[in-house]
Amino acid sequence: MTENPAAAPQKLRSRDRDAIIQSLRAGVVPRRGHQHIQVGRADEVKALLQDLDRVADGGSAMRFVIGEYGSGKTFFLHLVRSIGLEKGLVAAHTDLSPSRRLHSTGGEARSLYSDLMANLATRTRPEGGAVPSVVERFVTSALQEAKERSVATRTVLDERLAALSEMPGGYDFAEVIAAFWQGHDEANDRLKSDAVRWLRGEFATRTDARKALGVRTIIDDASIYDHLKLFARFVRLAGYAGLVVCFDEMVNLYKLTNTRARNSNYELILRIVNDSLQGTAVGLGILFGGTPEFLMDPRRGLYSYEALQSRLAQNRFAADGLKDLSGPVVLLPGLTPEELFVLFHNLRHVYASGDPAAYLLPDEAFVAFMEHCSQRIGDAYFRTPRSTIRAFLELLAVLEQNPQIDWRQLLGNIELVAETNPDLEPLEEENDIGPEAATQTGDDDLASFRL
Amino acid sequence: MTTLPLSGSEPEAPTQSSAFHQLHSKIQRWIWRTGWSELRDIQEQSIPAILGREHDLVIAAATAGGKTEAAFLPILSSLADDSGGSIRALYVSPLRALINDQFRRLELLCQELEIPVHRWHGDVGAGQKRKVLTAPAGVLIITPESLEALFVLRGHEVSRLFHQLDYVVVDELHVFLGTERGAQLQSLLHRLELAVRRRVPRIGLSATLGDPGLACEFLRPRQGEAVQQIHSTAAGQELRLQVRGYRRLAPPLSPKEAEARRVAGQSVTPEEVTEGDVSSIAHHLFEHLRGGHHLIFANTRGQVEKFADLLRLLCERHRVPNEFWPHHGSLSKELREEAEAALKDQTRPASAVCTSTLELGIDISVIHSVAQVGPPPSVASLRQRLGRSGRAGDPAILRAYIQESALDPKTPPHASLRTDLVETIAAIELLLAGWCEPPDLRGLHLSTLVQQVLSIIAQLGAVRADQAWRALCDSGPFFRVDQALFTRFLRSLGSNDLIQQDHSGELVLAELGEKIVNHYSFFAAFSSPEEYRVVAGGRNLGSAPFSESLFPGRHVIFGGRRWVVVSVDDRARVVDLKPAAGGQPPPFSDRAAPAIHDRVRKEMLRIYTTTDLPRYLDATARELLAEGRENFRRYLLDEKSIIQYGDRSLYFPWAGDRLMDTMVVWLASEKIEVIREGVALIFERMAPEQVDEQLRKIATEEPPNAVDLAKSVENKVREKFHPWLEDEVLAVDYAAGVLDVEGARAGVSRWT
Repeated sequence: MTENPAAAPQKLRSRDRDAIIQSLRAGVVPRRGHQHIQVGRADEVKALLQDLDRVADGGSAMRFVIGEYGSGKTFFLHLVRSIGLEKGLVAAHTDLSPSRRLHSTGGEARSLYSDLMANLATRTRPEGGAVPSVVERFVTSALQEAKERSVATRTVLDERLAALSEMPGGYDFAEVIAAFWQGHDEANDRLKSDAVRWLRGEFATRTDARKALGVRTIIDDASIYDHLKLFARFVRLAGYAGLVVCFDEMVNLYKLTNTRARNSNYELILRIVNDSLQGTAVGLGILFGGTPEFLMDPRRGLYSYEALQSRLAQNRFAADGLKDLSGPVVLLPGLTPEELFVLFHNLRHVYASGDPAAYLLPDEAFVAFMEHCSQRIGDAYFRTPRSTIRAFLELLAVLEQNPQIDWRQLLGNIELVAETNPDLEPLEEENDIGPEAATQTGDDDLASFRL
Repeated sequence: MTTLPLSGSEPEAPTQSSAFHQLHSKIQRWIWRTGWSELRDIQEQSIPAILGREHDLVIAAATAGGKTEAAFLPILSSLADDSGGSIRALYVSPLRALINDQFRRLELLCQELEIPVHRWHGDVGAGQKRKVLTAPAGVLIITPESLEALFVLRGHEVSRLFHQLDYVVVDELHVFLGTERGAQLQSLLHRLELAVRRRVPRIGLSATLGDPGLACEFLRPRQGEAVQQIHSTAAGQELRLQVRGYRRLAPPLSPKEAEARRVAGQSVTPEEVTEGDVSSIAHHLFEHLRGGHHLIFANTRGQVEKFADLLRLLCERHRVPNEFWPHHGSLSKELREEAEAALKDQTRPASAVCTSTLELGIDISVIHSVAQVGPPPSVASLRQRLGRSGRAGDPAILRAYIQESALDPKTPPHASLRTDLVETIAAIELLLAGWCEPPDLRGLHLSTLVQQVLSIIAQLGAVRADQAWRALCDSGPFFRVDQALFTRFLRSLGSNDLIQQDHSGELVLAELGEKIVNHYSFFAAFSSPEEYRVVAGGRNLGSAPFSESLFPGRHVIFGGRRWVVVSVDDRARVVDLKPAAGGQPPPFSDRAAPAIHDRVRKEMLRIYTTTDLPRYLDATARELLAEGRENFRRYLLDEKSIIQYGDRSLYFPWAGDRLMDTMVVWLASEKIEVIREGVALIFERMAPEQVDEQLRKIATEEPPNAVDLAKSVENKVREKFHPWLEDEVLAVDYAAGVLDVEGARAGVSRWT
């Protein structure tokens, strides 16, 4: 971690630099180069590293990464994920949404699984889409072993997959892998791609799956967790250390309006928590990212589910700055002003592609910028760096394109805006209907509405 | 019967018509094969307008005027080559029965064009719905309630289901105007456009309207002027009318005498316990309507039951098969469908005794005549009912049966004016003059706004206050709700535990809100009372509100038949019946009668002050009208509006219900006790001079703020979600939806 800015005068490749800057300006987490900007939260990172080691050892792990909106949960998850890839783990991540849930009956769970599999990443394929290469690697190593032992490849495959067949859904899983091998053997690309489609949960009906692959089941809403456990074992058979799965935006479960649907989702989380605490999910680490409400709201958060509350409750002694990172919940602390200072330093460094001569701002500007933010939105900007980072990068962008302007002039114009749901914004053509209504009432009133 | 002519025009042959050539060739072929010799005038106009896709459109024509085709020939024409990708045409209709009907009509045509048609309402099975969800395409016919359910239960799928939507059609637009359901529909259509991120042309199909501009304004709030209008000019239908008067008569046997006869083991015929006037009306209906297809409108469900039962008994007595079917909202779907099927069957005579349920355009082909028992609820509704009869070039026939009480020296002045008859005459005169009530679009509909806010939260999981306001109010149909009111409104919901706020400031459903949203009754914007299911021999007959009078052993009339209550299960809410003789209809919870419009009361005054006798009155009706006019003059009501009656004063403003209600509230706020009875305001223990002085004060004083007036009204809960709003917010809603201070003042000034 680059705790000390002076210790990081390395140059950046422009590909990394652009990826970081563009993502952060759009308010999303970059896929690469996390190490260039990460600050603080060292204890939390360390705790998660231990989790990764345990998974790589064939154990299981499960963590709830809890923080406010924009506090860097997603960044944190991606950091852990990229470290996991370095350690030889396979990683998958997905954001929950109204159409992607852990449990459902209308295809939302399968769609979550498909998204996970589409994002499946390995060290050599950090951008995702790694399902074929994982299966390929498994098959290639089986072929090799068959050659060495001079036995039929199918025998080696069967031996290796025997352990899976006993798990729920494992028999058909093994059949699909065998079909992939068959396609590989017979140069039948159609069969191979059907097998991959099946593994990615893209078959919607059993009939289709049966026609294409001769298996009687598909990965459906009811079986996604079983298949995650299967897949975790499978990646180990393929020679990887294990599987890390990140479920982000868990707050979408908290927002589910239907009580029954919400509880069914929490029930599945309880299963995951139990399996992990008992260590029965081999080589599988699961990370959940969510807001404090998602965890602690007594009526609709995870704590509303009695069995989960007793398992996830915070250590009562871990308060007032004391931490206990041995439990399943990691509360992301806000950034200290010092850490924020370092963050700005890192951002300036990345923006200048690692060339100190190209820095657009002097150090004193950081302090002025922080003061400005603090006046505008109070101390929220320590807890939620997302919008602060965006504002800072916008400032840098203007300075870069208008070198004649002094940064002090720009500081007063920086707006820190709240994000809005694009689905509800008025249509453009309608903006001109009600000019009276729009002018007589500013939005400030309701934007800061409190019940 | 009196015959009155109306006007008409000549249509063109399809081959000469340019609109015909704009249609898709498959549709042209279909028209040829169907054997239409011409397109109707509204179709000629609608085809280019709809194919252009530029404007919203209101098509107004009488029932059976070809409105459905006017909308669907061009819509299907534009979908004929490609109807996939998502739902392409959304058709919103107020009634399930209407949906089933339209579905059958469209299915035939669409099959040929290979355009999928789906229907979606509470009675449609899950399998059919799944088809829409997996492969959305073509036309979807739906109720507003089911559309609401789509938003609540499948909020994230709405944009997928509709992203290529080309048209929205609203059928029976006029029934939505100014109602809670109407506000809900406006909100849903607006939210649909927000979800697909563009405007979708709206097409409203409506009965002939008093003020078509208001329908346009409703269809596209705040941009009504830009909505195109198409009016049918072909209304050349002859009208035959009769208004029959009846004097109320007590039953031959009093309840006591009847009971005594029963105890003595003697039989009591239904006629002996039925009021004489009711029996006479039933006999007249039986004699004149037997053997044809007719609709008999009664104003309450209880009346429907009573007449259906009497008419069935008459059929039995004459040893002919029963041909009179009851039809109202409390009857089960099966019973209602039986009645509709009987009406459609041209091979056997069948008539329905019904409430406004059959007022709308369910396609029941040929209806010979329409009967109306009691004064019609409004001119608009009378016109709608009349439109049901005389399709296919026959004259429209209306018989109205009006009952008036016997007078004695103790009858107070306002009860001796024969107001029911005069109101009916007024409605008919206005109808003949081409007028009907314009819809009242002044309401804020905060009750429906509660539903829409909860629904939008359910749709998206959470929403910010300013976003909800921008979406529903600033750019949406609740544009009269400003930020300040919306803030108070949200606080009401918060303090009632309907919504709560998370740390990021987003609103989510709180415990009670979640319960409300998760219950199936949430999807309707209007309230329906908790009712008991009524069952006989395992067959579902319908529902009735709970009442003390439903107990085992009690005789009831339900579905036009006589039963005795076997058991009442309070937990399962089921009333079990078995056939029996005798009984009364259960006390149904009828919806409140619509307010009488100011213009109707003015017309009544005109009728009192003139002397001509309308030709369509029968002898008794003429006598009754003469009595009414005589009493009117006797109390000098042609000279003054305030008269003395004992120690009370009666004030006759001849103003609409809304104005009279406002006067009552206004006077009450001045600490003056006023009661409204029919057309009169009654001032207890006040001399006419004092009343006059009070009214003068009102007419000249600075009028009070309507919201302040509303605050003095005790019970302001009128609509389904009102109980969750605090008094101050309710007062704003009440002032906008019920009161009319300026109108009341003007009404008072007319006379002082």
